[in-house]
Amino acid sequence: MNSSSRCTVTLLPDKRQRMVPEGTLLQDAVRQAGIDADIPCGGQGRCGRCLVRIEKGQVWRRPNAHLTSQQIALGWALSCQTEVRGDVTALLFPEKVRERFVVSGTASLKVPRRVRPPRDPVISQYLLELPPPSLKDNLADLERLRRALASASGVKNLEIDLSVARGIHQTLVEGSWKATAVVEHALSGGSSRLVALRPGDAVGTSLGLAIDIGTTTVKVVLVNLRSGRIIDTASAFNRQMSCGEDVISRIVYSQRGDGVRHLQRLVRETINGLIAEVCALHELEPEHIDHVVVAGNTIMIHLFLSMNSRPIREEPYAPMATSFPAVSAPEVGLRVNPRASVYCVPAVAAYVGGDITAGILGSRLHQREGLALFMDVGTNGEIVLGNSDWMAACACSAGPAFEGAGVECGMRATNGAIEDVTINYHTLEPKVRVIGGGAPQGICGSGMLAALAEMFVTGIVDKVGRVNTAIQRGQESGRRRIVDTSHGPAYVLAWASESDTGQDILLTEVDINNLIRTKGAIYAGVGVMLRGLGIDARDIDAVLIGGAFGQHLNVEKSIIVGLLPDLPWDKFHFLGNTAALGAYQVLISRRMRRKVEEIAHRVTYLELVADNSFMNEFISNLFLPHTDIDEFPSVKEVLAQASLNNTQAVAVGERGGR
Amino acid sequence: MALSGIAIYKLLPKTNCKDCGFPTCLAFAMKLSQQGIKLSACPHVSEESKQALDASARPPIQLVTVGTGERAFSVGNEVVMFRHEKTFYNPTALAVRVKTSQSREAIAATVAAVDAYSVERVGIHMRLNAIAIDDAKGDPAAFASCVEQVSSITKMPLILISKDPRVMEAGLSKVAGRRSLIYAANSENVAQMAALAAKHGSPLAVQGDGLSQVAEVVEQANKAGVEELVLDPGARGFGNTLNTFTQIRRLALKSKERLVGYPVIAFPGEGSISPEEEALLASQLVIKYAGIVVLDHFAPHHAYPMLTLRQNIYTDPQKPIQVEPGVYPIRDPGRDSPVLVTTNFSLTYFSVAGEVDGSGMPAWLVICDTDGLSVLTSWAAGKFDGAKIAKTVTTHEVGSRVDHRFLLIPGHVAVLSGEIEEELPGWSVLVGPREGIDIPGYLKNVWTARLQGAKK
Amino acid sequence: MPAILVPTEKWAGKVREVTLGGDSRKKVVVGGETTLPFLHFDGVIPHAPAIAIDVEDVAPQNWSPVLGAVWGDVMREGLAAWARKAVEAGADMVALTLRSADPDMGNTGPAEAVEAVKKVLAAVDVPLIVYGPGIAAKDNEVLVAVSDAFAGKRLALGLCEDKNYRTIVATCMANGHIVIANSPIDINLAKQLNILITDMDMPGDRILMDPTTGALGYGLEYTYSVMERLRVAALLGDSMTAMPMILNPGREGWRFKEAKTRDGVPTQWGDLEGRGIAWETTTAIAQLQAGADILVMRHPKAVGLVKRAIASLMATNY
Repeated sequence: MNSSSRCTVTLLPDKRQRMVPEGTLLQDAVRQAGIDADIPCGGQGRCGRCLVRIEKGQVWRRPNAHLTSQQIALGWALSCQTEVRGDVTALLFPEKVRERFVVSGTASLKVPRRVRPPRDPVISQYLLELPPPSLKDNLADLERLRRALASASGVKNLEIDLSVARGIHQTLVEGSWKATAVVEHALSGGSSRLVALRPGDAVGTSLGLAIDIGTTTVKVVLVNLRSGRIIDTASAFNRQMSCGEDVISRIVYSQRGDGVRHLQRLVRETINGLIAEVCALHELEPEHIDHVVVAGNTIMIHLFLSMNSRPIREEPYAPMATSFPAVSAPEVGLRVNPRASVYCVPAVAAYVGGDITAGILGSRLHQREGLALFMDVGTNGEIVLGNSDWMAACACSAGPAFEGAGVECGMRATNGAIEDVTINYHTLEPKVRVIGGGAPQGICGSGMLAALAEMFVTGIVDKVGRVNTAIQRGQESGRRRIVDTSHGPAYVLAWASESDTGQDILLTEVDINNLIRTKGAIYAGVGVMLRGLGIDARDIDAVLIGGAFGQHLNVEKSIIVGLLPDLPWDKFHFLGNTAALGAYQVLISRRMRRKVEEIAHRVTYLELVADNSFMNEFISNLFLPHTDIDEFPSVKEVLAQASLNNTQAVAVGERGGR
Repeated sequence: MALSGIAIYKLLPKTNCKDCGFPTCLAFAMKLSQQGIKLSACPHVSEESKQALDASARPPIQLVTVGTGERAFSVGNEVVMFRHEKTFYNPTALAVRVKTSQSREAIAATVAAVDAYSVERVGIHMRLNAIAIDDAKGDPAAFASCVEQVSSITKMPLILISKDPRVMEAGLSKVAGRRSLIYAANSENVAQMAALAAKHGSPLAVQGDGLSQVAEVVEQANKAGVEELVLDPGARGFGNTLNTFTQIRRLALKSKERLVGYPVIAFPGEGSISPEEEALLASQLVIKYAGIVVLDHFAPHHAYPMLTLRQNIYTDPQKPIQVEPGVYPIRDPGRDSPVLVTTNFSLTYFSVAGEVDGSGMPAWLVICDTDGLSVLTSWAAGKFDGAKIAKTVTTHEVGSRVDHRFLLIPGHVAVLSGEIEEELPGWSVLVGPREGIDIPGYLKNVWTARLQGAKK
Repeated sequence: MPAILVPTEKWAGKVREVTLGGDSRKKVVVGGETTLPFLHFDGVIPHAPAIAIDVEDVAPQNWSPVLGAVWGDVMREGLAAWARKAVEAGADMVALTLRSADPDMGNTGPAEAVEAVKKVLAAVDVPLIVYGPGIAAKDNEVLVAVSDAFAGKRLALGLCEDKNYRTIVATCMANGHIVIANSPIDINLAKQLNILITDMDMPGDRILMDPTTGALGYGLEYTYSVMERLRVAALLGDSMTAMPMILNPGREGWRFKEAKTRDGVPTQWGDLEGRGIAWETTTAIAQLQAGADILVMRHPKAVGLVKRAIASLMATNY
């Protein structure tokens, strides 16, 4: 390199200038210009906080997995990975922009806030103005109503419950012979049903409720059935948690004495509590909830319907039902309009439930031309692969680590949880981001994944997840971050003095093994399915990520640890709670309901326990990122880069020492 | 190679009508690609698809059945070079050869011993499969008489060895309808031998010097309408048989060469310097692609390991790796040593046994039969429960090995404690650590204290 | 005559060559194949598989009586005599187990270990494999001492497992020895350990892998396919499975009642001596077919049979 050629670096927006030799890292120029840069990863090209935009001039970017080709085309660069090759003008982004870039891999809940009124609603509301009876027209109230409804809606053969019939006269009188009829349309054949008659003009007051019953969390979506608008959502822990954290424990519990009924009561109470809460907040009547759609895994639905779920646990893992009879709200104890019907989204199989069927609908995988992989990451990992032509699904028991359970300092993704971690390669000091911004209380799934990825890339753990207690770096920064615990060596993310709990927040070797098993099980599901169907991962057009965890997942770090397939970032789409989204769509549209049934009918379930290939995949995944590194070419590059940076850092250090 | 599930799916009606008994066309396609079912199970498949799929489903190596009745055996129909790719289906048939030059007494003794030989391993009774009768004299009458004698002693399938069609016919006439294997047709006698095979409905061995010659004879046998063939390309010895038989299987599977798409027969005694060497070569032949092995010596101490090897090689490698259920002593345990219970998934076993061994503390390891599933998976599937654990402890008389009555179970299945204590009165359950890595610490601290407490 | 063209497999990969011994002593090179075992028509097999014979630094207590009958005298005579007799029996290498370091077998320390190795090195000039007693902490203690004391002798030291690989790999690297990487019958675990070891900058040609021997009837079917898969992967070009494989048909083949018990077993099992030898040779032939490069054996007759088989398998002029 010709050291005599010097370049001018101009830094916007302040227009600070600095002369540096050609080949200087942009980051060094920034530092020399007196701009204080906070670089948690220590200049390893991983944290993304040194993002700049090259406005003018020649630079050379080291290969880096962090930037997409699109971003590079826009001139973006990581200053720690970019060398100056001439006079350069670069824009330093404000903190907020960089922060957004850093979290680009995460997404928020994608249930649409604005929608068009459905064209083929399940529930219609008709304002009826009836001529009051007279001697000339003394048709009975009920027939009068039928006649008016028939002319208003064209609905004939209307089914009217005795309970509605009893109140007709009073309602009509109360509304001065004006009333709003709420009709649930027949889906196919069958007759439509009058679910409510409300006095006066009550059009637009009919509500619907979509429910996602998760093993851990129950979520409700309250919807205005006329506009299709979502009024609000609310969620709470499933009260069944007190009877076991996972589905198997629930099945075991249900087999004892009154277990099924007890569990049914708990989930019903959870839902009724949410209904009361969300209705009270918006001053709405639970009585106006005229239709309910429930999505949940097969076991949750069995328990919600008080069905015996025992057969699911035993070979050949056949549930009692995968499609469920429509029930009325009182049958399952929901405190809504007692004539509302409750529709449970059909399941595919014992371990691929209606939450996944709804998720496919919500993700629109079933309409895609190209091949898509849908992953719902939770305590169970469900995986669907397919397109508009075919779909196959499997489930793997991932364990609750990502939801915060079974990990020493684990917690759910709520305020106080560490959700992102970057570790400085040289000092081994971490920089953490805490949900809510306060002192950390623990670490949630995305934080664990980030921590694992960072510990791996910085050499704190080896590829099998063993903590390298002999590591030499990080000695000079005061307290050693690697400590000994009763569960083996551990890495401290936050000292007791910094945490909200007064205890060190750390990840032990046992936690790390646990995480590796969890990610291993999920990716094994993907691997077995791809191989079983004879498909190459590179043929996947889109990876659709659903489930609560999917909102917080960081793509880069998930790829580094081998949780997600190594595909270009723009193939990943975060969809949030797809089960709730799908249930919502089924709630407002008959077409969607037919669609979701068709989906359940079309998906092919693959049983993973059936042979050895799952175990084989699983064990090859108990490695970072994977025993076959060629399945993760971008991680291979990151590792090569890390060791290159390492060598350079040493060289720099030696120079400085002289 | 077989078509992938998706490739087959594209040829199916895609109606998910369920008439085949599978929930979707894709599920059916995947089963078909694993060759677990027949295409005919789909009543709606089109003619074109049928043809396309039939071609891919035809077995590249002909299935050949020798003998009749209970002891008949089939060889061939193999679809892979390596057992891990799928499995080896039809175990190598082991035959013992007698010669017409031997005394009637010697022949009777050998045949009776081979016929009766049966040895049990993991609940399976393993047997030899056939008797080969070698025409050492070139004499039709002597051969016929020997065949008659052997067939009166055993119902095992027979392999009749002679190059002379007249001798062969004499022998065959004594065992009409028994589907004896004719050994062998060669370029000289193939017309007559094929005619005999056709007449008697017998499978026919084809002998030649090298693959091309064998293929030529096969072609002629095929023309004569004989399809059930067995090949002897003349290879003898360790190196020659390995290379030749590998080439034959590769030609059949990869090149779809129909002329060598048949099982092969081998004679390990020819060229061996001792019965030990013959037995060792026979073992290699079981592994590397022989359909039928004809031995010149029979000795139980060789037959037993050979049959065990055959059992090992022909087990389905797609099943999870399992450890035999039972009680495993680690580091010479005594009456005060802890009893640890876990599942028979091999890696679970290795990890627990390794941690216990590494702790330096002797212990008993009780392995339950969970179909090779790990602790949490087998528990989830209802295969690792109180009843199963109790049964294992009782069957293997764990109580007679120790003075205490404590069972240590994995921390992940702490919920089983109550069930186990109900099923095993007198025993107390101790919940051990969840992770193998914590076992040494647990044994040193918790267990030691617990045992002392119990003694007081 | 129909033309039959045999398709050949041209593999991209090659098994690594590992050299043991050398310096002023005999050396043995294993590996280097570019084809599956003994398939000469597909590629080259530069070195025949080698046979090592087991010796231990104290007379073993519970070996089969059949082994006792052939080794009994020299076992009592001492390590040097035993090692010499092993070489006479055809061993290309000697595999010494430092049994006395086991806490239950005397709990000897580094000094005794170095002494035992010195004896064997003085008695024979073939390469030496040294096994610790099989308890991680003791293995580290005695193997590090042996490694330091005999730097440059290119001993093969083991077993190195994922639990303690750092110590043994570090000492082998420093002193120019070969490391024996042992993993429990699984292709992925074997490969993972090789990656961990090479991540420490250990050269790939100083690693032997031991995928764990399951003896005939005791897991052979698993070992067999794991080995075969490792070898196929290596030939497909996976450098992390391309280490030569070392197996122990002697130790494992003679461990169970089939090779130990004369009386009270079914008559169909036949004569004990023949059965025991066959148990060892049958295990060995399966491992050779699956890709073994070094077999550690015990009975001289078994060694003789297997060596003849190898000679036939290596010949190309049949």
